[in-house]
Amino acid sequence: LLGVSGTSMEKNITLDSATIIELSCRLDNKYSHLKSLQVTWKRGNETIRHIDKTENSWSIQLKILDSSKLGNYRCILKGEEEISAIFYLQVPKIEGKEKPIVSYEGDSAIMICKSFGYTPIAWTWYKINGSEQIAINDSLVADKYVINSVSANVTHLKILKLTKEDDGVYWCEAAFELGRSKGNLKLKVLSLMVPLKPFLAIVAEVVILVTIVFLYEMYSKKKEKCA
Amino acid sequence: MKRRFLFASNCFAEDFSSMQQQGEERKEEEPEVPAARKSPSTEAADGGWAWGVVFHFFLVNVLVMGMLKTFGIFFVAFQEEVGGSSEQVSWIGSIMSSLRFLGAPLVAVVCKSLGERPTSIIGAGLVGGGCLLSTQATSVPFLCVSMGLLLGMGFACLYQAAAVMTAKRCRTRLAFSNAIARSGMGLTFLIAPFTQLLIDFYGWQGTLLIFGGIMLNLVPSSMLLRPISTQPPQRSSAKNQDCGSLMAKKDSETLDGCSDETTPREIQLRSAQDLPTTEGLLMSHGRDVSGPVNTSALERLKKPPVDSCSPEIATEAKRSYKSLPPTEKENSQPLLDFSPLKDPVFCIFTWSFLFSHLAYFVPIFHLVARARTLGISSMDASYLISVAGITETVSQLLSGWVADQNWTKKYHYHVAYLVLGGITNLLCPLATTFPLLMTYVVAFAVFCGGFMALVLPVLVDLVGVQKLHSYLGFAAFFAGIAAIGGPPLAGNCNVIYKLYPPQTSSDKTCSGFTLLPICIQGCFFCPSEKKKTKMHFRNLSLYTGNILLVNLQNPTSSLTAAWKKRG
Repeated sequence: LLGVSGTSMEKNITLDSATIIELSCRLDNKYSHLKSLQVTWKRGNETIRHIDKTENSWSIQLKILDSSKLGNYRCILKGEEEISAIFYLQVPKIEGKEKPIVSYEGDSAIMICKSFGYTPIAWTWYKINGSEQIAINDSLVADKYVINSVSANVTHLKILKLTKEDDGVYWCEAAFELGRSKGNLKLKVLSLMVPLKPFLAIVAEVVILVTIVFLYEMYSKKKEKCA
Repeated sequence: MKRRFLFASNCFAEDFSSMQQQGEERKEEEPEVPAARKSPSTEAADGGWAWGVVFHFFLVNVLVMGMLKTFGIFFVAFQEEVGGSSEQVSWIGSIMSSLRFLGAPLVAVVCKSLGERPTSIIGAGLVGGGCLLSTQATSVPFLCVSMGLLLGMGFACLYQAAAVMTAKRCRTRLAFSNAIARSGMGLTFLIAPFTQLLIDFYGWQGTLLIFGGIMLNLVPSSMLLRPISTQPPQRSSAKNQDCGSLMAKKDSETLDGCSDETTPREIQLRSAQDLPTTEGLLMSHGRDVSGPVNTSALERLKKPPVDSCSPEIATEAKRSYKSLPPTEKENSQPLLDFSPLKDPVFCIFTWSFLFSHLAYFVPIFHLVARARTLGISSMDASYLISVAGITETVSQLLSGWVADQNWTKKYHYHVAYLVLGGITNLLCPLATTFPLLMTYVVAFAVFCGGFMALVLPVLVDLVGVQKLHSYLGFAAFFAGIAAIGGPPLAGNCNVIYKLYPPQTSSDKTCSGFTLLPICIQGCFFCPSEKKKTKMHFRNLSLYTGNILLVNLQNPTSSLTAAWKKRG
């Protein structure tokens, strides 16, 4: 990890299980002329000890055992200017869907959550009602919800017999050794009338046009016969 | 005398009507129309209907092409909802687009038996029904049938009926009308964002429902495909056809001679068709006339006891037959006409049709990749594509208009466009900067648009309107086979050339593909006027050898070695 003078650097590190991790800040060779550098590693406000120092790099070793150890770690180089680099240690992100999933009443909808690269221990689905989370338990309401894991990294929630109440926000939560991560999905349930109205409007227009053409033909045929 | 004048003025007026939208002027031009003939108002209506046909063809192009192109958007939605791997879902798209071509011979049969208008209405119904049925889809095979099969067949029906009807209606301005109708393809770029919007609002089922409704709009527009005859078919079709030439004036004598035997109008009209063909027609319309002449006229001439007239007319008709094989022997046109397959003109035409379709898609495909390898940003690359699309539409219209001026034969233009297009493609490896690439794109689009607009008119010129159904059907069938095989073939060429910079490989492939139709066209346009079958075969064998050579080389490494030497 290289430090660049004047700017602040960030790096995301994704961890899904307990590990020992070493974070190091290394200074580019062209800046090695800067003397009297002081390096501190901080997490929040607390300073971390156990610095291993080499020629141009400073590193710390962390034992990440649970979610309490995750967070932002900063290495601060104090010279003439202050340079800092931030490491974000976090659990893997879950991909939900930004666009709402549209489905119809009486139909079924499938909501898919994926985790990339990292395998969660367990998946849980929640439905958000107002500000409450309600866990979806498929064994309780077996004919309504079916939770399927196609593979360990992907989970499917299939909702059968959709009604208007099923409309709303859903969360899929993946449990990792080091914490939990959520993905966001929105479901929109439409009644059948919604697309039917434009369709009927178009059909009406078609019928009108057909009638006009037909009448014109009858009219011109009559004209021919008379003429 | 009176009748002669009537014919002349009628012909003139018929031409006029297809050129002008107001047919009312004709009423003033023909004050002496007798009650026995069709009234001028329906004549005027006939001219106006030509524009209706063009409008319908335009709509068909917009909606059919739009549907095919936006299938990719549905693809994503289907995959999520219905499940199935991408290959399975992409089958739907390929069935849909290939059936559009492959179904053409079948549709030609239906058209001949039912007529164009019912076929078109059936097609529109199939498309609408297929869309509506697909909303209930729960699995991929279901979708394959409902969306792929029904929609594909519907598109084939619509397309074939509209194309042939355009050829039948717009005699003098066929190229221009064809170009106007094809420009509908240029508008399809609007349909994609519209589809995306609908899917976001209504989900794919609602979108399909609404699309079904929009496709149903093709039903009233299909009703515009009025059959040319509203009175006894032989009579009015005969009359309309002979209006292609102004030489009916000279028929009066023979007409009077024959008229006493059977119904005056009928024989008169039929013989009037025959005789214009003997006048040494150089106009391409003449072939339109000669086609229907022999089939319809001779069939009927054999029945009525007009002995004095029929041998005379029959021999004249025989003499007049130029590019079509003699059909005096056929008493009736069979429903499924395999005769095109034996006609060398057809073979040559289909080869060129096939290869030109192959060559058409490849450059556009690889254009973006090429631009990227040259370091051009993707924004600029997509700008290139949109410029290509617009230029092509404009050049289609221009070339149609130019061809209609009849300064020279239409296929001369066709050959010219192909040659220039091939040369452009050969020169394209020289395009290494954005302005040069833009020039290449514009030039290629101009030539492509020009030649695409002329495909139908050239076919009409060569085979005449009567046989157009079977010819177009079979040509489309073979083109469909090519369409299925084309992109994988081009992709294969790319794979082989992977060792070499892609910009040279794909463009050399496409220039190879473009040069082939040129060779073919070059050989068949010379003899087509003189109907020298031997020359056809000789040239065909020469160039088939060429084609085979290139085909063989493509998948093997020998060509790669050859390219390598050229560097």
